[in-house]
Amino acid sequence: MANQHQSPALSVEGLIKDYPGVRAVDDVSFSIESSTVHCLVGENGAGKSTLIKMLTGALQPTQGVMKVNGVAYQPNSTQDARESGIATLFQELHVVDELSVLENLTLGMEQSRFGFVIHSDLEDRVIQTLATIEPSINPSARVSSLSVAQKQIIEIARAASSGANVIIMDEPTAALSEREVERLFTVIRRLREQQVTVVYISHKLDEILTLGDVVTVLRDGKHIVTKPLSEVAGRSELIDMMIGRSLIQNYTPRTAVTNEVVLSAKGLSNSLLKNVSFDINKGEIVGFYGLVGAGKTEIARALFGADKVSGSIVFKGQPVGNTPKQAIAAGIALVPEERRTQGLFTNLTIRENIPVMNIRRMSDNGVFRSSDELTAAVNYVEKLGIATNSIEKHTEKLSGGNQQKVVLAKCLFSDADLLLLDEPTRGVDVGAKTEIYDIIKNLADEGNSVALFSTELEEVLGICDRIFLLYCGSLKSVIINGPNLDSTDILNVVTGGNKGVTQ
Amino acid sequence: MSVSIKADTALIDNRRMSDQMYITLLVASVAIGLFLIASMLVPNFFQLQNMLNLVTNNWAVISLGVGVSFLLVSGNFDLSVGGIVALSGVLSVWFAQSIGGANALSSGLGLPYWLALLAALAGALAIGGLNALFVVKFRIPSIIVTLGTMMVARGIAQVITQGSQRNTNLPDDFGLLGSLKVFGTSIQLPVVFMAALLLVAIFIERKMLFGRLTYWIGANPTAARLSGIDNARHITYLYLFSSAIAGVVGILLSSEFQSGYSNRGMLMEFDALVIALLGGIAIAGGFGSVIGMFFGAIILAVVTSAATGLTLSPDWQFILKAVAVFLAIMAQTWALTRRNQ
Repeated sequence: MANQHQSPALSVEGLIKDYPGVRAVDDVSFSIESSTVHCLVGENGAGKSTLIKMLTGALQPTQGVMKVNGVAYQPNSTQDARESGIATLFQELHVVDELSVLENLTLGMEQSRFGFVIHSDLEDRVIQTLATIEPSINPSARVSSLSVAQKQIIEIARAASSGANVIIMDEPTAALSEREVERLFTVIRRLREQQVTVVYISHKLDEILTLGDVVTVLRDGKHIVTKPLSEVAGRSELIDMMIGRSLIQNYTPRTAVTNEVVLSAKGLSNSLLKNVSFDINKGEIVGFYGLVGAGKTEIARALFGADKVSGSIVFKGQPVGNTPKQAIAAGIALVPEERRTQGLFTNLTIRENIPVMNIRRMSDNGVFRSSDELTAAVNYVEKLGIATNSIEKHTEKLSGGNQQKVVLAKCLFSDADLLLLDEPTRGVDVGAKTEIYDIIKNLADEGNSVALFSTELEEVLGICDRIFLLYCGSLKSVIINGPNLDSTDILNVVTGGNKGVTQ
Repeated sequence: MSVSIKADTALIDNRRMSDQMYITLLVASVAIGLFLIASMLVPNFFQLQNMLNLVTNNWAVISLGVGVSFLLVSGNFDLSVGGIVALSGVLSVWFAQSIGGANALSSGLGLPYWLALLAALAGALAIGGLNALFVVKFRIPSIIVTLGTMMVARGIAQVITQGSQRNTNLPDDFGLLGSLKVFGTSIQLPVVFMAALLLVAIFIERKMLFGRLTYWIGANPTAARLSGIDNARHITYLYLFSSAIAGVVGILLSSEFQSGYSNRGMLMEFDALVIALLGGIAIAGGFGSVIGMFFGAIILAVVTSAATGLTLSPDWQFILKAVAVFLAIMAQTWALTRRNQ
């Protein structure tokens, strides 16, 4: 085959990306051969997204060289990347619902004369491309009438017809059903036949094993291996390469855990969740661990009354209401997933943020207790170690870790007995992370219950007493934290493997 | 863990004033500055009576500005207040007119005076309720909803007055409220209403939980809901509050002129919005104060009355207002960005 003598479609040499205090990508070198499906795997924070952002021009590397077909390549924007033949398919779709399939495919490439769009051979070429990769889509159909998977295929067709040699797909199956995934795979295989190179990123290891030709494993920003999938001995080897170390086990069994059930959820179901049932005990820290889209946030929001869900939730013997207001009144508080948009009042000060979840305590016949607010703010700033010189500082000016502590302070002030923490340490630096873990442990030791929803295995194994493993909206397994846990088994469960966790 | 009070106080920072205070002071100094400039240019402008007139002549718009300001802070518009002024005024006249007048426009429902006023107020509240229903329940953007109800309210007023006005066959004491002088002074009841309303509003905004809820909802409605605040109920209260003020303003005006006129209050919703924005209330919500709105009204009043004093044709007043609004809002944005750099 002539291909073997070609230079690789894409290659990186000694690529480094530094952020203040952390090296996200550390001296990564590998090549992606032309006309292959090249998979990129690694845990959260392994450096996959940073790497992709550099390849697509969204970030500039601190050091290192990138090459396209053997020629040096330095994109400054996604537009630059497109011109060099590299297109990216992001998780969010970028199609215009109101236009037809054809109009979407030619969007931004229309040729015009005196301001009028003129017919060109472009349209024929585009129709041809679409027909090759997915003949079942009618080019004159309205995009709004298509399914998510079909819209994704439109995006792929657009990338392919714009002359892209490399298409990067970041978790393309996150929103797809099983049958749609199959169709997407067919499309990807046809692309490969058309000499297109696909870089495929996914947490779902089965997909990688089915689809991929070559896999590159990243871990903690470093390149671990690049090898053909035919030489990989199944999921377990892949997982071993991803983890590469036994996780730091600093969990010590806690004495405050009781057998008294505070919250009992039965048969929670909605568009994502499938019949999820569990109990949370007094004084316990439970973890909900799974990949992005496994249903963690949905469970948290359901327990808090923020989203509708079928099934029953009983808290301290009473059914939980269906609004956050009722949940807070019953003694449940939520630290939401997105702290800036859902948790904080960023244009208000620390002082003004803290009392919001306990307005009954702040009202003296309708008059606001300003002095209580002042005391509470000072106390929580000291107790949680919020780094600030004044409680009058606007929360938008705080660092991520300190913002998160303000959100925690809000919840603590509500006097909740059950705290739901959705990704409480996302975007938080290491020092603040440890402090947040200590706050959580102290709370539980005082007899409160905590539910931690996280995509970080290390975090869950570090502080949780019991861990619920989720995959695609189902609760797959419950494990009791202890010294002899095999993290390979856990990863196997949350990536859709069939084997249970052995204890 | 006990924490010493001494160490804590370092965190309480009294030296730096809040952005809110800063903007309010800025607006107030602009108002005073403009007044001084106008005094130099316009003969007889610098007089106590003139200063008072600047406030008292604008009692209606300032009163409406209170409700509009609260709603803006909560992140919602209210463009219906001008229409409600017309509606409640017309309703109060129609309800109070005695039965069997000479023609359609001179015969009303013949309700007792007090009942006519209450019924007119109920009509105003109904429009406020309609606003709340569409904004809260059906989640339609408030600017569209209140633009619609503005026309609904004025439309009803127009039907009742047949596009004209009703001013005959009224009870003798109908004009009392609008022209009542307080304690033998020249201050009229509507001005007292405005002053009381301002004081109550400032107290609610600064000192009561209700005021704080308004800021939280305006600053981040999602976070407010996830913090257990009943946004829907609060916004409903705000729309009812605003429409009640507009209802009273309409009743007082119709009493003062002893007529129900369907074009009364025309463009008042925009003046109320303009003074709120001039007063530093953020159009996106979560920031601003009633005191700022008051000084915003003074700025607008100084500009327009100085223009009249300089014998500038009234035709130029809209353009003058526009220039004042642009300059004021640009200055505020610039000042806040600079301060927070």
